[in-house]
Amino acid sequence: MQMVKNILLVLLVSWLAIIVFMPKQALYYKMEETLATQDVVLNETSIEEGFFSLTLHKVSVYVKGIPVATVEEVKFFTLLFFSRLSVDTLLVDDSLKKMLPTELNHAEITHSLVSPLNLAVHAQGSFGALEGNIDLSTSSVRLDFNESKNIEVLKSELKKDEKGWYYETSF
Amino acid sequence: MKKGGTMKHLFSLKRLKNLWFLAIVLICVKLAWFIIAFLWLPVSGVNYRVEKERKPLYYRVKLNPNKAPPPKKQTKKTVKRVVSGSIKDIILLGIYNASDMTVITVEHKKKTKVLSKGDEINGFTLDSAGNNFAIFTKGTKSYKVKLFTKKRKNSKSTGSIKEVASVKKESKFLKPEGEIVDAGDHKIIDRTLLDHYGENVDNVYKDIGIKDIKNGKDLEGFSISFIRRGSPFAKLGLKRGDVISSVNGQKIDSYNAAFGIYKNIKDIENLSLVIKRGEEEMELEYEVN
Repeated sequence: MQMVKNILLVLLVSWLAIIVFMPKQALYYKMEETLATQDVVLNETSIEEGFFSLTLHKVSVYVKGIPVATVEEVKFFTLLFFSRLSVDTLLVDDSLKKMLPTELNHAEITHSLVSPLNLAVHAQGSFGALEGNIDLSTSSVRLDFNESKNIEVLKSELKKDEKGWYYETSF
Repeated sequence: MKKGGTMKHLFSLKRLKNLWFLAIVLICVKLAWFIIAFLWLPVSGVNYRVEKERKPLYYRVKLNPNKAPPPKKQTKKTVKRVVSGSIKDIILLGIYNASDMTVITVEHKKKTKVLSKGDEINGFTLDSAGNNFAIFTKGTKSYKVKLFTKKRKNSKSTGSIKEVASVKKESKFLKPEGEIVDAGDHKIIDRTLLDHYGENVDNVYKDIGIKDIKNGKDLEGFSISFIRRGSPFAKLGLKRGDVISSVNGQKIDSYNAAFGIYKNIKDIENLSLVIKRGEEEMELEYEVN
């Protein structure tokens, strides 16, 4: 029994150490490098590193050098077996208002070890609210616009079924 | 003091051993992360240097009154006269639009007629139709006639022709309304044309294809990969293979520069393009009216 206790204690300490000592900022820089190869650049005014999280403040998103959006706050949170990426107040650049909804109030992408090949998506914005999932096994995305409003600009990209409007794509 | 007595341990040796072991685990994890960060992770992020609003190197202004383009009012009047002419006599009552054929019902001089693509009425030829409009052409000009709502209800009740929603995927393509007028030494672009493209970015891609030219990772410029025949871009005198070097004196050497021009297209007063056609460099000038 004592042996089991000791093993559990070592596992717990190792798990905590892995998360707490994780060089989150450097990992974020690595992600920035990867995104830059796809011509996507994130400019943030400040980075805040917590024990379990990394928060970016006032992020500007550039795609091929074109300012696409600004985000008030982006937060990565992880416990390894459960991770969450949350985005607060995303404003799309005015020049793209003909193509995209202009405001995203809050969005969350969560991953859990319970379903390791699925990412759950939840968002609210000027388009209403959407929920969906990203299936990593089939490389597909489905987003259901449950409370759709002002989605005229998106309709050319959406499909409709008995539940309502939805977006579907694969990668 | 009593010698040889049993001394109590302040710390349990076993517990101390366990703590020592946990400290080693912590140090190992920290060391592992340190090695990973040192070997594979960058110490600084990638930041985009925001370009300040670049001013054109020069701005050409024509001051010679003899070469001055025709006054604005005159041009507008000409267009208005044609548009407000006999095309207004045609009332669109119904549309049947399928992938292989287009049939519309119109009322002209109190008579109802059924037209298919290519048919002529009052000097106007039916070119195409959308869900709620039809496009007629006369000469080189196009005219859009919208579906007459009240009459449509009547025609439904009499059952002459049913308005059928297009079976094929709805096309967002709308023919631009403005014209490009050749004024001899230069061309005049109707501002409504710029407004149209400013509002409908999809239509830009349908009329012109623009490809980036890269030298390794660096962007050198943009070349024209295709131009739709008869489109306003073709009327501008642009050709496939032309490389656009600058617009209104501003070098087009980044996506942001190109997008910046597009964003402000509605506000420009005149347009000057420097293009490379083969080995030759050309400057094309237009007035926006």
